[in-house]
Amino acid sequence: MIATMPRAHGPRRFFRATLGRSYPRIIGSNRDRSWLFYDTVLPLLGTIAFVYVYKALGAPDRFIGYVIMGGATTAFWMNVMWAMAAQFYWDKQGGNLELYMVVPCGIAPILFGMSLGGFLATMIRATAIVLIGSLLFGVRFAISNLGLFLLIFGVAIVALYGLGVAFASLFLLWGREAWHMAELFMEPVFLASGFYFPVRALGFWAAMGTSLIPLTLALDGLRQLLFGEMHPALLPVWWEVVGLVFLAVLFFVLARFMLRRMEFLARREGRLSLRF
Amino acid sequence: MPAPAVRQEGLLRRWWRVLRVSYWLGWQIETNWTDPLLFFIYSLAKPLGGVLILVFMYFVVAQGTRGAMLGFFVVGTALWPFVVRGVMGIAWGLISDREHWKTLRYIYTSPIPYRAYLVGRSLAQATSALAPAVITLLFGRYVLGIPMHLGTVNIQYAAAAMIVGVIGIVALGLVVVSAAMLISGEAWRMPEAIGAGLYLVSGAIFPVTALPGVLQSIAQVFPLTWWLEAMRRGLLGPQTVTSFPWAGDAQVLIYEVLVTAVWIAAAAFIFAVADRRARQLGILDQESAF
Repeated sequence: MIATMPRAHGPRRFFRATLGRSYPRIIGSNRDRSWLFYDTVLPLLGTIAFVYVYKALGAPDRFIGYVIMGGATTAFWMNVMWAMAAQFYWDKQGGNLELYMVVPCGIAPILFGMSLGGFLATMIRATAIVLIGSLLFGVRFAISNLGLFLLIFGVAIVALYGLGVAFASLFLLWGREAWHMAELFMEPVFLASGFYFPVRALGFWAAMGTSLIPLTLALDGLRQLLFGEMHPALLPVWWEVVGLVFLAVLFFVLARFMLRRMEFLARREGRLSLRF
Repeated sequence: MPAPAVRQEGLLRRWWRVLRVSYWLGWQIETNWTDPLLFFIYSLAKPLGGVLILVFMYFVVAQGTRGAMLGFFVVGTALWPFVVRGVMGIAWGLISDREHWKTLRYIYTSPIPYRAYLVGRSLAQATSALAPAVITLLFGRYVLGIPMHLGTVNIQYAAAAMIVGVIGIVALGLVVVSAAMLISGEAWRMPEAIGAGLYLVSGAIFPVTALPGVLQSIAQVFPLTWWLEAMRRGLLGPQTVTSFPWAGDAQVLIYEVLVTAVWIAAAAFIFAVADRRARQLGILDQESAF
């Protein structure tokens, strides 16, 4: 006899579908312990390379802290690009995308579940990168205002995953390009958002332009709270909070609009099940 | 009974034919996913982004003054895409043949030397790194003012180092592909892990002398370290920051050749063992649905 679940509607169905989609990202992926190596040691190797650049340049110790923060942020950005934006491409290859399109809950809780699962899994990884990096290089982080630090981090994550959903809908139209476009958004974004150096070095107006990527304002705000006066700030920290809130709302609205638009286009052009 | 034409074809001629065709195939896969303009932007964005990150890191520390480290960064980031595409690209080629296109079993069972096919794919990937490398070097020369001109460039030296370097990259690629043959679940991420490790130890973006002693010894084992060192000496002349200050230019080139020769022999052996083992285990064309 097949066990049946009670039928759910409205928010309950949304909630269940969200949990269902986040489950493989939180629980499923941790069944295979290889992530410990690939998701912590691997990004750490790249981070360590940048630490040695600063060491070779004879930079003060706070720059090592910049790099470790950048390494942890890389984990979030890669998660958003590869496991959010490009996810529908993988799902298309695996045959799951058609299933998502026909389930009664709609695509929104699927994306929300992907974000939730991806965030929690990446949070563990980013924490591991910060801890291991700090221990390896003897860096101490002193947060001057924990509440504000958490606020910036939280709002930035909402804005970042909102951007991820907007990208996911865009990637819905792409085939092989998806892989390459996700690649394209790596180094240029690390540069534009100041992953490894204070973003103010780009020049005020250039940095304001790149602040459209939520990580730019988030990294600058968090660095102000960690390094105080020594950090050349782009904007006062509360202005950056306001900017991040604006981006969070903007990307939420944009994601909603793009998802509908791109799904319509993908259906019309028959690209939802087009694998290659 | 095999066709007489196939039987009569010599081994070298057959290798050459497969190399040419797989090179063409690899080039098509690499480039025809988009229009030439977007492909050009895509090819440039990563290395230029990489070099600019290092340039800004340099300027926030040096407060605007220019020094020899800028040249070090430019040459390293200009040449690194050869490693990314040649070493990691060959492994991704095998994995995508197996998992994505599902053509590996047909290619493997066709009457061609599979190794030649992989080398051709690797060379195609490495070729796609040529334009970004040249443009990054020009950017360094004309925008960042790196002292790299006819007076400093030793063309013969740099050309010899480059040829040996590409051979070393293909040898390393064959070793990575051997590992990819034997794993499935994490195969997509393994080449990246190796690339990150090489990025750290081979003096790509900082001199090997900055590393702890143990890692300095490990760095000398890889042909990439000697290749990058020789290329910097060939392109930037005597003012360059060196990873091996104790070695003369000729010595660096000799070491590059010797280490590359060892890696060619090792790659041939490791590939043969991995190939046999994968067939014994029946996992050569095993799909993991990752």
